[in-house]
Amino acid sequence: MFQELRLGLAEAERARDAILAALTPNDSPAALAIADEHGVPILLLRQDGAPARMLSRARAKAYTSANLGLDTVEFRDRHVKARQRTLNDWGDPMMTTLQGGLAIRVDGKVVGGIAMSGNTTNRDEALARIGLEAIGAEG
Amino acid sequence: MIQQLFVGLDDACTAVKAILDASRPSDGPLCISVVDGAGNPVYEVRQDGASAVDVRNAERKAYTAAYIGRDTSMWRLQILHDGRTVADWSNPNMTTIHGGWTLRRASQVIGGLGVSGSGSEDRDEQLALRGAEALAALAVAEWRSKRDPRPIRDRQETAP
Repeated sequence: MFQELRLGLAEAERARDAILAALTPNDSPAALAIADEHGVPILLLRQDGAPARMLSRARAKAYTSANLGLDTVEFRDRHVKARQRTLNDWGDPMMTTLQGGLAIRVDGKVVGGIAMSGNTTNRDEALARIGLEAIGAEG
Repeated sequence: MIQQLFVGLDDACTAVKAILDASRPSDGPLCISVVDGAGNPVYEVRQDGASAVDVRNAERKAYTAAYIGRDTSMWRLQILHDGRTVADWSNPNMTTIHGGWTLRRASQVIGGLGVSGSGSEDRDEQLALRGAEALAALAVAEWRSKRDPRPIRDRQETAP
């Protein structure tokens, strides 16, 4: 038997509140996904007016970050581009290299992934990082 | 052009909160999914301990209820009566597991609500109903606030 530290709904809601508070009128309606360490969603959210694909995207980003324990931009640059691989090499249709997904680490252990979609990928990542800080986790 | 009502994030959060408030300690950890009229997720939460199966089921229940415009339990009865199976719809996202509730406003489908994880599909449905009731209460309050309080005979005739 062994025990594992896992992300709970309370942490996810904390991140949600922080991100919603950080959104400005300049931001487009966005989607947020928070997943556990297996990439299974804990909280999904799509603002009024955000197209459905934004949530699919956010979900894929959170899944990728959580599964690999990597931020999606790091995955793209260091593991895909730098080694001239493609996403097909991983054989997982849920995986993406789009920027905006961050791995959530607590005490050095990956406990999940958080991702935003709807704005520029840079802004998406910045917003996701606000959620990460609200959880009190390392990136 | 037409105007169509859809369930928004505020409504979705209201429904989810009503369901979580209505759940009892004897219920298992829940996953609750709210989708808009097109079946696309708007808000979804998974309580600590709910499994990946619950996530999948809640999403599929909500999707089915919005897509077919019937509560999943009702739809199961209907297709059983008609001698059909889910496969006849050629849509792998559809399910007849109880716990998917159609959200309507003025007879129009505005979304769907799916609950999974309580331990029995009928309890899931009961909880989904509580979410729908919370939205219905909001709709009634809105209607009351807009209603002309005067008796009908005192109201001004408005031109057609």
